[in-house]
Amino acid sequence: MAGTPFDLVQGTLDVLILKALALQELHGMGISRRISQMTRGAFDVKAGSLFPALHRMEQAGWLTSNWGQAETNRRAKFYSLTKKGTKQLHAETERWARISLAMAAALGTHQEAL
Amino acid sequence: MISRLRALWNTFFRRDQLDQDLDEELSVYAELVAAEKTRSGLSPDCARRDTHREMGGVEQVRQNVRDIRAGVWLERLNQDLRYGVRTLSRDPGFTVTAVLTLALGIGACSAIFSMVNAVLIRSLPYGDPERLVYLFTPNSRDNLPPEDFGPAYGDLYDIKRESRSFQSMTAFDQSMFNLSEQGEAQRVSAARVDGDFFQTFQASPVMGREITWEDNQPGHERVAVISHALWQSLFGSASDILHRSLVLDGKSYQIVGVMPIAFEYPHNFDLPEGVPQYKTTQVWLPLALTPSQMAERDNFGGNAVARLKPGISIAQAQSELSTIMVRLNKLLDPHMQGREALLVNLLDSTVGHVRSLLWLLLGVVGLVLLIACGNAANLLLARSAGRMRELGVRAALGAGRRRIVRQLLTEALLLGITAGGAGIAFAFLFLRFLPLLDPGNIPRLSEASLDMRVLLFTLALSLLTSLLTGVLPALNVSRANLVDFLAAAGNRGVAGAHGRTQGALIVIQTALVLVLLSSAGLLIRSYINVESVDTGFSESTLTTSVQLDPRYSQPQKRAEFYRDFYSRLSAIPGVTAVGGINALPLSNSETMRPFQVEGYANQKNQLVQGRWITPGYFSAMSISLLAGRAFSQDDTAHTDRLVIVNRSFANKYFANRNPIGGHVTFEDHHVQSTTVIGVVGDVRHTSLEESPAPQIYMPVSEAADGYIVVRASRAPKIVAAEIRSALHAIDPNLAAADIQTMGQLESAASARRRFQTSLLTVFAAVALLLALIGLYGLMAHSVGRRTREVGIRMALGAKRSDVMLLMMKKAALLLALGLTCGLVVSWFAVRAMQAFLFGVGGHDPATIISVCALLAVCGLVAALIPARRAASIDPIQALRME
Repeated sequence: MAGTPFDLVQGTLDVLILKALALQELHGMGISRRISQMTRGAFDVKAGSLFPALHRMEQAGWLTSNWGQAETNRRAKFYSLTKKGTKQLHAETERWARISLAMAAALGTHQEAL
Repeated sequence: MISRLRALWNTFFRRDQLDQDLDEELSVYAELVAAEKTRSGLSPDCARRDTHREMGGVEQVRQNVRDIRAGVWLERLNQDLRYGVRTLSRDPGFTVTAVLTLALGIGACSAIFSMVNAVLIRSLPYGDPERLVYLFTPNSRDNLPPEDFGPAYGDLYDIKRESRSFQSMTAFDQSMFNLSEQGEAQRVSAARVDGDFFQTFQASPVMGREITWEDNQPGHERVAVISHALWQSLFGSASDILHRSLVLDGKSYQIVGVMPIAFEYPHNFDLPEGVPQYKTTQVWLPLALTPSQMAERDNFGGNAVARLKPGISIAQAQSELSTIMVRLNKLLDPHMQGREALLVNLLDSTVGHVRSLLWLLLGVVGLVLLIACGNAANLLLARSAGRMRELGVRAALGAGRRRIVRQLLTEALLLGITAGGAGIAFAFLFLRFLPLLDPGNIPRLSEASLDMRVLLFTLALSLLTSLLTGVLPALNVSRANLVDFLAAAGNRGVAGAHGRTQGALIVIQTALVLVLLSSAGLLIRSYINVESVDTGFSESTLTTSVQLDPRYSQPQKRAEFYRDFYSRLSAIPGVTAVGGINALPLSNSETMRPFQVEGYANQKNQLVQGRWITPGYFSAMSISLLAGRAFSQDDTAHTDRLVIVNRSFANKYFANRNPIGGHVTFEDHHVQSTTVIGVVGDVRHTSLEESPAPQIYMPVSEAADGYIVVRASRAPKIVAAEIRSALHAIDPNLAAADIQTMGQLESAASARRRFQTSLLTVFAAVALLLALIGLYGLMAHSVGRRTREVGIRMALGAKRSDVMLLMMKKAALLLALGLTCGLVVSWFAVRAMQAFLFGVGGHDPATIISVCALLAVCGLVAALIPARRAASIDPIQALRME
């Protein structure tokens, strides 16, 4: 389904960021693009919400950061998951699976119906 | 956890580094986004603009990130505080006024609370005092206060054996001794205690041991425990004190223990029927009752204190006692039966009577603090009106409303805390002056101090004050639309709303002040009434008493001593009369006699205050003789035949009859019939405020162990010295108790009233001052704000007097509203005061009118100054100013 990007549902941004970082470390722009890609363009994360979230998650100890080379040869801050972050990702994934199942059951929708 | 701490650390100590990193991170992001857009075909300029639009402003993003940093609230608080200090110090006039106002309120509260703390809250030097109770065995057939009946020892020790409600129980007695030390005699008050005294109070000596049951065995009773004070004053804190002894009434007692500093039980205020002379107890001796005394049931004994077992209530113990008393009553003579057991909480009995006074004072200073808060709030409101522009600019620059409200509250917090500090200083000063006011009969008042509890109380008060003062201005600001305000570029729109709030505050303050002033007014009236009470005796008469020791145990020797002493007293130059009495007015002593009057409808168990006096008593006290004659020396031979009654007695028992020649029969030990030979004026005996009771006087030749009264034409100090040397000449081992004039006794009797009146008056005055400052401030502020309006009015032809009238009208309206509210409130509030009034009604019109007038006049004068300033505004300048 392609259309206008949704507003992020409360609590989705964190899990999306965690998921985006599950494979590799990324800088802010990279995370934003990865999320967009993962959700087939449904979510377009703006800097105004991305950076506060990154810093908050870093303070919470889910992410860690280090400075590396970006594509343009500029120094950029790369984020990666910590152990705690990975654990958080698993927990959140499970939670979302349960929620989406429950929602699907409640609304009587199926994957095929989409 | 560690990452959190590190984040906190970074927020505070590596902020610059963090900000720099953030800037770099954001700029790389922007660059990357722009590069992507360029790749998709946009021109670099266009790409950059697009990027910026998409990011929604770099500064905004940066601020959002900062806002989520750990401990950001602390950083904000720090910012707010610094900003607050800056703005407050920019306006020292405002700040000093606000701080001083609040400091007065907080200081008054802390001072009174320190008294409450000392008297009612702080723990006593007895373990768990809540469980201590007094035991009385009153007989409801006698119309006397139940506290007059200490249990007979026989009853007491039976109750002690049979009851299960008490952990321990003790009997003790008070007496005065002559303590001789190196030829000098001084009087000390002692408690004679049984073996369970110290255990009941759970107080043990700091040195040596307590008095035990062994010490109470006959032949072992010559031991003493002394107070810390006596150990210091008499023995210079000697370390070998346990090897020393004490000579009391010529007998030597081995010192076996020294009590801790705080323990001086019983104090004069401890016992319901305490004798004023026994201020504190310095010596504890064994009571040493003989077996027959311990079984005595007919005479009421000393004092009894018991400690309830944990978990047993007074009511439970009381009901157990009533069953025990049923059995004990059967052991009594039929005419003495009907004895009950009464338990009274020791704390209630000690401080119960001052509790209401202290709560009243605390309520009063609470009102003072409220008024102070109103003032400070008004000042803040006035200032925030002037600061609308500044706040508007801050709002326009992106400060959230909550942030601005928080800023205002922070400023109030700064004011409150500073005022709290200054308030502590005020409270300290107050406590310095407290001894001057101390009426001497409020337990432990002298121990009032600024301890940890008082300091915490003050801190809490400061915070509360900050909230109270800060919340109104903050609400006002949050209601006003600051940015609109900036656009309007004036302060007229908001000023109206502010003016209403401020006006309401002034009305409330005026009302509160009226309540305080009328309370103070009523107390002052009461005090004047008490002071002008006709006591019935002369103030300049000197009084003293002598305690004879066992060397004078033979009646003949005592009589000889008194005869000698009286004649020496009469010989002192300037002495015009010498007399004696067993129970002196205002000395807290009393004797009651059962009696019947011939020709009167007598009741059962009718009691009258009986006095034994020497012939010189009436003339020494200047008590007026109304009819018949006074006692002569010859009458003392017929002590059981003749009586003199006071006016109250004559009015009650000889109504419409001539009392002279009437017959009064006493029925105490044996029936005794007497004839009335005279009627004298009433005297205030129990207190200045109790109307005189019927009294009856019997003649004796010398007052044995009573009070001696001396009337002299010379200065009391000189005569007092002469009295001492006269006693010394007879027997250097005897000491005269405090030689006081009746005036001093009177002054002591009205000390409590003086205390409460002066405190309440001072606080009411402070409240008045605060309210006037508030009114003045509001008027001055509104004049300042209306300069332009006044200018226009005057330019249009208004006269100066019109302008003044305009300004005064507002003040008068506020005052009138305040007075009306105040009258309504005080109409109901005086109910709390009723117990403190004497000879004046709660709604005394004279007091209320004069207080209203005072407040109105002061208020108008305070408003007049700014109003005159308004009237002197030069219209040209006023208009040019804008």
